[in-house]
Amino acid sequence: MDYFLQNFPQQLVNGLEAGSLYALIALGYTLIYGILEMLNFAHGDVYMVGAFLAAGVAGVLVHNEVAAVPAGLAVALMMVVAMGGAGLLGVGIERVAYRPLRNANRLAPLITAVGVSLFLESAVQVWVSPASVLVASNALVPQTVFHLGNAVTPLTGAILFAVAVALMVALDAFVFRTRFGSALRATAQDREAATFMGIDVDRVIMVTFFLASALAGMGGVLFGLRYASVDFFMGYLLGIKAFTAAVIGGIGNIRGAMVGGLLVGVLESLVGGFISTQFQDTFVFLALIAVLLVRPQGLFGQPLTDRA
Amino acid sequence: MSASPQSVAAIESPHQLKRFWESGPAAWNKALTSPRAMIPFFLVAFAVPLVLQWVEDNSSWIGAQYWTLILATCAMYACLAVALNLVVGYAGLLNLGFIAFFGIGSYAYALVASDQIHQRYPFWAALLVVIAVTLAFALLVGVPALRLRGDYLAIVTLGFGLIMRDLILDLDRPPVLAGHQLGPDGLNITGGTNGIHNVEPFNLPMNLPILGPVPHFRMYYWIFVGFLALCIFCMLRWRNSRTGRAWVAIRDDELAARAMGVNTFKYRLLAFSVSAVMAGIVGMINAAQIFNAFPSPNFDVQTTVVVFIMVILGGLGSLPGAILGAIAFTVPPFVLQQFVFYKYLVISLVLVAVMIYRPEGLLGTVSIRPRQTMGGTLELITAEAAVEASELPAVTDAEAADLEAAAGAIVEDPEWKT
Repeated sequence: MDYFLQNFPQQLVNGLEAGSLYALIALGYTLIYGILEMLNFAHGDVYMVGAFLAAGVAGVLVHNEVAAVPAGLAVALMMVVAMGGAGLLGVGIERVAYRPLRNANRLAPLITAVGVSLFLESAVQVWVSPASVLVASNALVPQTVFHLGNAVTPLTGAILFAVAVALMVALDAFVFRTRFGSALRATAQDREAATFMGIDVDRVIMVTFFLASALAGMGGVLFGLRYASVDFFMGYLLGIKAFTAAVIGGIGNIRGAMVGGLLVGVLESLVGGFISTQFQDTFVFLALIAVLLVRPQGLFGQPLTDRA
Repeated sequence: MSASPQSVAAIESPHQLKRFWESGPAAWNKALTSPRAMIPFFLVAFAVPLVLQWVEDNSSWIGAQYWTLILATCAMYACLAVALNLVVGYAGLLNLGFIAFFGIGSYAYALVASDQIHQRYPFWAALLVVIAVTLAFALLVGVPALRLRGDYLAIVTLGFGLIMRDLILDLDRPPVLAGHQLGPDGLNITGGTNGIHNVEPFNLPMNLPILGPVPHFRMYYWIFVGFLALCIFCMLRWRNSRTGRAWVAIRDDELAARAMGVNTFKYRLLAFSVSAVMAGIVGMINAAQIFNAFPSPNFDVQTTVVVFIMVILGGLGSLPGAILGAIAFTVPPFVLQQFVFYKYLVISLVLVAVMIYRPEGLLGTVSIRPRQTMGGTLELITAEAAVEASELPAVTDAEAADLEAAAGAIVEDPEWKT
């Protein structure tokens, strides 16, 4: 019990860090699912591409000793490039691969998304790097460590949590407080009715993909800064866990995805710390199956109605 | 479905060939699944290694062994594609953990036919073990997951595939839960990344009557082809049975199927587990063929995508298509070594391109093209129904004119026009 009490705060902090990342990616799944009722399997790989873009920017700035650029500006540049690049990638994927299938049967876009996901992974593997790429986060972020009682977290971890939470709050405000946000919610509720109300559905979908993918890109930057290494396969497992988080929170529900992400992160960290690191992922998926069995609409979702 | 004997009438004139070409993928699929096409196909498939051997014996070419191995791999993937077609093409269930069942079959056989846990079961006992184990896993995933809507099934099966891969990689040592070690030190079930070696092949005669000595790969090629023939036979019989119609009904419109009293859960679970058991048996044959069970191709999600593209390219719901797809994606990596590096890049591009430009594949019976409808909800249309309609006796122009005249229409009389 002493062991538990001593280690619990640290595991909780680790879990919140990982969880805020999951939440950021889960938001993308939930936004896209909410609006198109499609599971964008490529989302995890968009996150991976964002991480590579950030790693590239960091590499250019640090290794070529562009000394004039202060570290803060370099990090900001990484974020802008990764968010913009990932956002455009998301829009491009939607335009090329998903839009032609928008009215097709449910299976078609799912299979296409699996194809896009494998394409992004193998493209990065073949053309960029088959091995991990190091991110020069040491040179960019000071090595400060924060102490919170028994728990410690580096500055990069604090940045990860803070930026992720800030983006979530911003997104929430965007969706629930702006005019465009209400167009987005209307489209998610009923695409045809939204069209009748004069909403440009194509544009809404495009912006949704941009937002979702930009959030994923930012996730990539934060991950790169925190763990200093990225690889072409990193989006796969994280994508599945983020999706798990979205489902646990109630897919299509934005606040649900945030809570779901934090829950999955904390659950995973506690299981890893106190039960078994070997079977961390197994427990996460068991939790997913348990939630789906007991409450298929997720913790915060509306009860599902069959739409045949 | 009443197959009219005329539907596969021999093609004699170029005109008929043209009509056949224009009749579309569903009709080609139907023609190719008739016994008139299937029986010769399997006879040829059976004879190919013998021909290769004959060519090698009578020329300076040496490649019979190598090509038999390639063909065996094709046949293996064809079996997997047919099994996946059952679950995706017939029943419309997106099983993204499909390949895990192949791996489970491999490992189940390897465990009872090697020194890993010191068990060497005879063939039939091992087969029963493989069937029982894959079925158990299929039920374990299927019973909770198939109660959910399609998208959740995809994610649960994907997660399942991932869990299985982790288990296979981690169970080379006793699992530790909350500081308690389960099982004795040195417990090694799956061999971790090394896999299980020295798996015993099936106890088969090395010499067959008439055919003479049979090399290892040729024997396994024949086993795969035999299993493929068995699977296709069962699937064709099934397709035209009450069960097959129930699957297609669920796939095309679940709500309507349920309204007609089809127990959707039962039939989905049936398709899911039969497909899993088929994949498990293929895995078992593969483990016996290569004397090993490895985690890598057996549990990789990429392998699932490879089998998916075979099914999609060939056409959802089409069995000859699955064979074609298997050949199209198995041979190139063997022939073009350079291709291996770009394999997944090419495969993923083809997958996306096929989905966008020809979603019904080469021989598909399921059209999943976008349709504009008022409600925007109509999803699948079965091209088979269209083929059946096209088989109604054709009405000639003259007959049509008579009919129209009888109906009181003003008809242009060809002779009156002088």
